[in-house]
Amino acid sequence: MQRSTTNPGTTERQRRRDAAGFDMPGVRPLIGLVEPRAALFLLTPAMAALLLLSIFPFVYSLVLSLHRWNLSNRAQGWSFVGLANYVRILTGDPFFWSAMEVTVVFLVVTIALEFVLGLGIAVLVSQETRALGAIQTIIILPMMITPVVVGLIWRFMYNPDRGVINEILGAVGLPGPLWLGSARTGLLSVVIADVWEWTPFMALIMLAALQSLPREPLEAAIVDGASRRQAFVSIVLPLIRPAIMVALLLRGIDAFKTFDLIYVLTQGGPGTSTQVLSLYTYKWGFKFFEMGYAAALAYVMVLIVDLAATFGIRALDRSGNG
Amino acid sequence: MEVLGRGGRIEQAIRRVAIGLTLSAFLGPIVLIVLTSFKTRVAALESSPFALFQPTLTNYVHIFAEYSFAHFAKNSLIASLASTLIALALGSLAAYGLARYRFRGRGGLAYWILSLRMAPAIASVIPLFIMLRQVHLIDNLAGLILVYIGANLPLVIWMMKGFFEDLPVDMEESALIDGASRLGACVRIALPLVAPGLAATAILTFIFTWNEFLFALILTGRNAQTLPVAVTLFVRETGIDWGYMTAAASLMMLPMVICTLFVRRGLTRGLTLGAIK
Repeated sequence: MQRSTTNPGTTERQRRRDAAGFDMPGVRPLIGLVEPRAALFLLTPAMAALLLLSIFPFVYSLVLSLHRWNLSNRAQGWSFVGLANYVRILTGDPFFWSAMEVTVVFLVVTIALEFVLGLGIAVLVSQETRALGAIQTIIILPMMITPVVVGLIWRFMYNPDRGVINEILGAVGLPGPLWLGSARTGLLSVVIADVWEWTPFMALIMLAALQSLPREPLEAAIVDGASRRQAFVSIVLPLIRPAIMVALLLRGIDAFKTFDLIYVLTQGGPGTSTQVLSLYTYKWGFKFFEMGYAAALAYVMVLIVDLAATFGIRALDRSGNG
Repeated sequence: MEVLGRGGRIEQAIRRVAIGLTLSAFLGPIVLIVLTSFKTRVAALESSPFALFQPTLTNYVHIFAEYSFAHFAKNSLIASLASTLIALALGSLAAYGLARYRFRGRGGLAYWILSLRMAPAIASVIPLFIMLRQVHLIDNLAGLILVYIGANLPLVIWMMKGFFEDLPVDMEESALIDGASRLGACVRIALPLVAPGLAATAILTFIFTWNEFLFALILTGRNAQTLPVAVTLFVRETGIDWGYMTAAASLMMLPMVICTLFVRRGLTRGLTLGAIK
């Protein structure tokens, strides 16, 4: 956006601009000058809203996490417990660690599958020139419809009795598992639904990256006799690396926070086989009403997301893409 | 990617088949739900999903008559539209400030806004629940709208900041030199030029709000409840009545499908918060 001052087309404007900047009080060029007051004026309404609706709640929640407070017990007020909630989470709460394990397994498996499938679909589709718009629209539908509805769709299809999935398995002579009803297949079922919902996200980003590739290096490689596979691995993949990292980072953070889908599919069950951290925190807050402990659990999650985002963004900056 | 060659005729045929399979994998479940919504409750559960059936509108009639679908739809619509419009107004001004002015801490502020977008919703809903309870705004649409404004602002600011930064600065400068106020330069010159970006941001924000579940689940009861929460209650009240459920799901999907048709261009940018354009 930096304009060259020597560009002949802008000399007149430049002259007037400079003149205006010095001669007319209150009128200054937009770029390059420190204008805290103008910026403040534009930013204040939004910042006030964020202060009230985001910052204050986060500070409040931090304070709350240092207390014990059961909302359902009217007689009991806040009692300060220091770091006791955090100590208990990290050392005395096996359910936290089991939720952490479920979350990590869910995250790693879904992201890996979504990435591989998404990249595959993007490559497949990008070679198609006709109807690309229509194809793209259909592909992104699963992630645009309400996540709760996605959950209900899959619950319907997983139904062991006359559900469409077991109908199909039965037609080819395979025994249908219980899907959501069994601790052995519960997490797998949730993973499949999530992959259906979010592979489109990966595909969309990979497709955008593939379409913005410069033609020259690829053409040069092909002229030099590289096979299509070689060209893809040694030229295309490195070029779309920043996009891949953005997609993995954003999807990873979202998968870490997953709530809606699992709430509708299994509520964390059977047992605790699909109980992810969001759901576990929700239970402490809004089933047991232990607000202090729930706030501490939530803060652990905030911290993890924050670390992941910080390292992720730094890695992106290093790879040369802001 | 066509540079890599489009392959021979056989390869092209294989690719077409693969694309067809992919599309049906994504579209199939949606079609199944819509078809099921036209079946009677008995046919929905007891016959094979592939059997022919006599279509009926009973499910749709029932969710309006017995489950006040219209009430929840109205809540969803009001909450989504109001919070989208307000977040868009506040967020666009802030985005313009971030895009056009240099001041200390600008980069830090922008990243900090971004980090709000990434924070887990479960972490903000706990204090918001307590705060809204204090001011008696639980199960109140105004309270929900307020919360959604806060949740949508970071996205709006980041998307609009990108659109403003793409705009050449000359026209606003001319306006300023000709004596327009800063707000005038933003509203009358820059805003019309980013109208497509504004529309994409609005649609995307609307989609996210329409689909939002966790805040609505915790902050509303029957009075201000939105569709995503209401539809999960259908499940509990009736066992699962798949006829009603699929009818409600189909009606909820409809606006999202329409929005998708209009937002495809701005989508990548919105979903990656401007990292990929």
